[in-house]
Amino acid sequence: MKERIKKAASSKVVVTLVWLFGIAAIWEVMAMRVAETKRTPANILPHIGDIVKSIFDAKMVSNNMTAVQLVLSNASDTLLRAFWGFLIGAIVGFLLAILMKLSKIVEKTIFPYLMLIQMIPILGMAPIILAMTHDIGASRIIIAAILTFYPIATNTLAGLNSVQKEKYELMYSYSASKWTIYRKMLIPACIPYLFTGLKISAPMAITASILVDTLQGDGGLGCILSQSLKHAMSIYVFWQIVLFSAAVGILSCTLMGWIEKIVSPMKRIERKQNSIFARRKEAQYEKEKEKSLATGE
Amino acid sequence: MESVKQEVEIKINDVSVTFKDNKGNNVPALNHVNLDIKKGEFISLLGPSGCGKTTLLRTIADLLDPTDGSVRISGLTPKEVRMQQKFGIVFQSPVLFEWRTVKENIELPLEIMYWNKKERSERANQMLELVGLKEFANHYPGQLSGGMQQRVGIARAFGIRPEILLMDEPFSALDEFTKEKLHEDLLRIWAKTNKTVIFVTHNIAESVFLSDRVCVLSPHPGRLSAVVDIDLPRPRTLEMRDTPHFNELVAKVRNSFEGGSL
Repeated sequence: MKERIKKAASSKVVVTLVWLFGIAAIWEVMAMRVAETKRTPANILPHIGDIVKSIFDAKMVSNNMTAVQLVLSNASDTLLRAFWGFLIGAIVGFLLAILMKLSKIVEKTIFPYLMLIQMIPILGMAPIILAMTHDIGASRIIIAAILTFYPIATNTLAGLNSVQKEKYELMYSYSASKWTIYRKMLIPACIPYLFTGLKISAPMAITASILVDTLQGDGGLGCILSQSLKHAMSIYVFWQIVLFSAAVGILSCTLMGWIEKIVSPMKRIERKQNSIFARRKEAQYEKEKEKSLATGE
Repeated sequence: MESVKQEVEIKINDVSVTFKDNKGNNVPALNHVNLDIKKGEFISLLGPSGCGKTTLLRTIADLLDPTDGSVRISGLTPKEVRMQQKFGIVFQSPVLFEWRTVKENIELPLEIMYWNKKERSERANQMLELVGLKEFANHYPGQLSGGMQQRVGIARAFGIRPEILLMDEPFSALDEFTKEKLHEDLLRIWAKTNKTVIFVTHNIAESVFLSDRVCVLSPHPGRLSAVVDIDLPRPRTLEMRDTPHFNELVAKVRNSFEGGSL
């Protein structure tokens, strides 16, 4: 019984549920406190129920669209930009990591300064990039890419550098070419690290995309988000976007996990069988020990 | 001595290796080692840590250039032999590729040597059978115990049918039960393939049990202090370890360390 509780507590579903309920409970308690004040509670912290209700509200908010229609119709632009930004960031990040691995000089000259790019505030970077590209859509994608490539580059590089010395010596003893070493050893070895980077970057790309939407008023989630904050429409549009983007962010991270399982079957099987195998091994070891005790060895 | 093994394959000619420590001082690791290793021989390099046994192995494997002297393998330099992919190496840790299944790990060097898929698979299956891991072919290294992983490493090394097998303390991280089992496995596989094996170890009984000859190295600086012939008959069995002759040989090896017994 005790073991069963322990097992249930460590299962992923239970942990997620506990978090969800915990956050919802804290939210509701705070919403109740806010409702007691004289300010507009919907602006500060509405009840979760009210946000959910607003999703099904048929009232037109703007341009003959209900709140949820407005959110979803603007979401595709933002998510598409996030996707392209993420894709470009991922490819650039991965290639940069390979380049830094290939050349120590490149690593020493580029790597310390990559972090500087991360330190420039996006809102300061945006006008510069817009001035360079002359296209707001392209500049938004580029900004999303800039924000995503760094975690991918650093994680991938860490993966490439994690390969133990003996593996190199083994490949050397087969007189494997540099290309073979990358293809059969370094790149497969960095895949788990790459996915760690992707899992960090995917939600970041979405957040970045929403943020840069606010720069110009031509649609996108960030754009209506700022409008709804300025009371141009129902405040519940704001809350719906918050919930929606949080959900999509989590989903994007989960999606990376799924892709990882497809790309590296080792991940899938190991997680499933490791526990069973470890127990079996332990049992076998115990048996052997008993046997050796019995024979007096 | 088994008299069939006559042809000298590896000639280690006055090899010295000197390392530089972080202060820039020269630290001698090996001092004028001379040794002839015959074709098909199982030879151990035995000694305490710091005696240069691994260093000597690495000079044969072309992982290290000797500061002085030379190594010739059938008249060729170690580099030439390595380029012909004639070395098999087993390290102290199994050095398996975690993202490859057991079978794919054994196939790795064969892929690098451009074998076709069918031949690779055949050879890998053959090796899996030889090391008794047939039912684990599709497992990943992370799912295996340490002993099993090391067996995969041995299967991978023997799978390319190397002319020379270099083993660097392959069993030192394993428990006694697993070690004994692997000793028998190794001798069985070696008897089938009859390749030259150079086996580095710090375990006296292990070196006596496995080898045709035990090369005793002493530290500070690393040098070859004796070569002991092991005239135990083959095939060797675990029971031989309890015979007086085995113990005599162990004592003989132990006493040949310079500076007396350890």
